[in-house]
Formats: sequence, C-alpha cells, structure tokens
Amino acid sequence: MSVACDIAVLGAGPAGMAAATEAARRGARVVLLDEYPAPGGQAHRAAPPGFRMPADSDRRAGDRLRHALALSGAELRLGHRVWDLAGGPPAQAGISRPFRIASLGPQGPAALEARALILCPGAQERIIPFPGWTLPGVIGLAAASILLKAQGVLPGRRAVVAGVGPLLLAVAARVMKAGAELAAVVDLAGPAEWQAALPALASRPDLLMRGLAWRARLASRSVAVLRAHRVLAAEGGRVLERVRVAPLSGGAPEEFDCDALCIGHGLVPATEAARCLGAAHCYAPRDGGWVPVLDKDGRSSVPLLYVAGDAGSLRGAAAAPASGRLAALAALADLGRLPPRRHARARLGPALAHAHAVRPGAAMAAMMALRPALLDGIAPETVVCRCEGVTRRDIEQAIGAGAREMNQLGRFTRCGTGPCQGRLCGEAAAELLAGRVGGRERAGFLTTHPPLRPVPIEMLLGEPAPADTAPVLAPA
Amino acid sequence: MVIRGIAAILTAMMGSLRIRDVLRPAEVTFTWQGRPFRAPVGESLATALLEAGIRCLGEGPGAPRAAFCMAGSCQQCLVRVDGRPAQACLVPVRAGMAAEPA
Repeated sequence: MSVACDIAVLGAGPAGMAAATEAARRGARVVLLDEYPAPGGQAHRAAPPGFRMPADSDRRAGDRLRHALALSGAELRLGHRVWDLAGGPPAQAGISRPFRIASLGPQGPAALEARALILCPGAQERIIPFPGWTLPGVIGLAAASILLKAQGVLPGRRAVVAGVGPLLLAVAARVMKAGAELAAVVDLAGPAEWQAALPALASRPDLLMRGLAWRARLASRSVAVLRAHRVLAAEGGRVLERVRVAPLSGGAPEEFDCDALCIGHGLVPATEAARCLGAAHCYAPRDGGWVPVLDKDGRSSVPLLYVAGDAGSLRGAAAAPASGRLAALAALADLGRLPPRRHARARLGPALAHAHAVRPGAAMAAMMALRPALLDGIAPETVVCRCEGVTRRDIEQAIGAGAREMNQLGRFTRCGTGPCQGRLCGEAAAELLAGRVGGRERAGFLTTHPPLRPVPIEMLLGEPAPADTAPVLAPA
Repeated sequence: MVIRGIAAILTAMMGSLRIRDVLRPAEVTFTWQGRPFRAPVGESLATALLEAGIRCLGEGPGAPRAAFCMAGSCQQCLVRVDGRPAQACLVPVRAGMAAEPA
C-alpha cells in the first residue's frame, strides 16, 4: 500500500526535524522517516525508552527540536530503514512524477510517494585504516560518542582518544567525566591549526567556552595531550592491548596500554541517497568530500529534490536546523504552496541564522578535511575493506592491473562491494586510487543502487500469495 | 608482564562500564551463545555484549569482527537474534532474546 504526501524528509537529525517541522507547520502533508526509533539523529540522539541521561546542552537543543516536531503535525515513520529511492520529476520540467520511497519498518515493508523529497541523512565517520584497526576494542569517535551519550556506557576502562575534529575533545572530556581512565589524547591537528580556527570559533562563544573548559579539565588531570601526533598501530592478541603513537614529523614512538581506542579522521557527508536519484555531485574537500551540487536553499540538480544539513556540506549540528528550514521553504515555494514574495520573506530568518552558524562549522570541516599523509600509515597487509577482507596490497595490485576507477576497483578486488557498501572503506580506497589516477574526480565513487542498506529478503517478499505463483503450463 | 597481568585482573574486577549517574529500566536476561547475561531492557545488544566482556562478535574474512560504528552503518556487528540476521548496535535487548554469531 502506497501513501502519498507533499514532502518526504529522510533522516530525523537536526536538519530533518527542522525541515519537517517548518513544512508541516505551513500546512503541507509531511512524512519524516528515520531508521532509529526516536528522532534526534546522531548529534541529539535520544536515549532508549526508560533511560534518563544527565541533561546537557546538546540534549536540550535536541529536546527543543523534538518538541517543535511533535507539535507540527508531521507524520513520523520511525524505525524505518529506507532501502530504495526512485521516481522523481524527469530533468525536463513539466511532467509531474512523485518520488517513490521504499522502507522496511516495524510492521514490515512500506511504500511512500512524495511530490518533493528533502534528504537529511547527515554524515558518517571517516577512519583511514592503520595496522591493528580491526582489533576488538578499536571503535570510531562517533561510536564512542553514541555509547557515552545515548547508551550511558564507557567504551573501555582505560581509553586512548585519537584523531581530529570537535568529536576528539568531546569524547575525551566525556570519557574522563564518566570515570574512565584516559591514557592519552592524540590530536592530528597541531597548535597552529587550532589557532587558525579560533577566530571562526569565537563567533560561537558558548562552543568556544565549552572547548576551553574541556582543555582545562584535561590539563588538570595531567592527561597526555599529544598534538600533531598520529596513531601508528593498535596492538594486542585477540583484543586491543596497547596503542603506538608518534609525532607527525617523525620521531620516537610512544606506547600507551589501553582496552579502548576511540579514533576518527573526520566526517564525510552521506551522499548515497542523492547519488541514487542521480543528483549532480562535486568533490569539495573542505565541505567533507563528495557533496551534491546545491543552491543556497538546498535545491539539488534534480527538480524537487533537496539536501540539507551535513549531507550537503559539513557545517555541524548548530547550522543544520536553519539549513533544513531553508530547504523546506524552497520545497513549499517550488510546489506552489508558498507565493514567491512570502517565500522571500520567510527565508530571511533561517538564512541569517545559517550564515551565523556556518563559520565555526566551516572551520571544523577544514580541520576534518582528509589528510592524504594518513595513507602512508596503511601497511600492505592492513585490511582496508573489512567486509571482504581486501588489503592495501590487493588494492595496489588491482590498480597495477588496470583498475582506474572505484567501480572497476570493486570488480577487481570486491573492495566496497560487501554489506557496508563502501561506507567504511570507500574513503581510503578512493584516496589510494586517486593518488595513482590523478585525483578523486577521476577515481569517482561507487555507483549506488538499491538496496541502499541491507534488508532481509524474506522481509521484503512476505508470504507468497497464490496469485504470485505462475501457473504450470501443460506440455504441448 | 606479571604486573600487567595483575593490573588487567584488577581492572576487570572494577566492574561495570555502565556510567553511574544514568537511570535505567529494569534488567532482563538475554543469552549469547546460550550463556545468560543481564542488561537493562532497551539497551542496545552491542552495548550489552560490551558490558558482558564479549568484544568479538564473529569472524570476518580478514579479522575478528567487533561493533565499530555503533550507528547501523558499518555492518561489523552483524549477529543472529532469535534466528534472524540483525545488527547488534540497532537491536534493543528484550527479555529472553537469544543472540549468537551470524
């Protein structure tokens, strides 16, 4: 059974919640879909029902967005994994054709038709492989953040927190506050990079103060904060036991015993949905990598398809709600539900809020941009693609044998063709390829096709109906 | 080496990874490979297994698999829950749930 609506919003993070709220408040029939059972996204992720976490500013900002959403009249489809996107207006305008959204929800498969579609899938973490990164005990910074904030659980009893970007300090501070031992904080960025980011961060004094408070807390506990350092290797038998760390400039490595390594090398916009629908993309490292080509209101190259929040350009959770509202207003205007003059007036507020919020976000995005030097740290025998067990050596051999583009590399080695569909290995593999073929634009990206995420086939098929069975023809 | 071993035993005895100032619902029993464990109802299976000291969730093609992204994206925590494949980081613990490697 297919349900029709004016606007579907994919992803209930800060951008999606604000987009759905804005459109529904103005009278549109809006459906908001998300894989999780509660709205919030990763930045404002809600704790499971029955859990009460200590309040903090992130949670309060999330609660405000959730509250507005609940009052807006938008229909929520939570616990829905969207696995196929199709339809949409053809590139030549004039023909009306809805987007078709297939999902798998708590009650089984569901279909939705929408005249306009706003994509707010957020970002995923980039982790450039290093020897030992597959050892149990090594997790992403974003993963650690989820454990600490949404599950109330420590990643380990003695942790090393490593990588780059705002999550680094946030996770380190939370680990320490929650009572675990912090063995070391290993920051890829040097003092000069933080100094360069300061003027942009100063436009958000609250964030700046929070960052400085975290720094002070680390200093007061005499935690080793190593700047311009990298993790060389994670070591241990069956699980993580220690981490080897060294200055980026070379120099003697240091070892830290630990049972958890939380590491992340920046965020990457989640573009599979926009790519699946054929939106034009460009490679913009300071926006996070491959990003959809958007106008200032989030319109993509496909009519009535919009992208908001980090999925369009990494500007952080603070900028995402304004970006979502701009996309919602543009969709309403393009659907003829908001006259041009009223649209022009309505978009002023969110446009101003967005312009204010993007500065610190852009500074953090620049800091999180991919650092090609990390590629040197992938040993030949290091597994790059975990799903298929493809090593750096396998990738180099395939490139030597003539793989010139990501999909070719996938066919040569199976890299990126497993269940994670390249989400974990894509950045490293593309960067290895780019170094040999002359840039990421040439290396391209893995073609997206349904299912966008793995779904059990028996759940999609359901019970076979007698009519589905073809009659057996009697032999002539 | 001996000191490191003693330190490991001591930290293991220090108890829960669950952060103290969080209010949780009542605990229920679930099983991993037939062994019973307790966890608050609704906690993610990946979290409950981490707390139970089970870090390795299966054998990947290149290395042992463990929960990695905790956000439903990396598929490293794929297990079997009551006979069906499921991502441990997305599955809430229920009373009587039987989980095992995929």
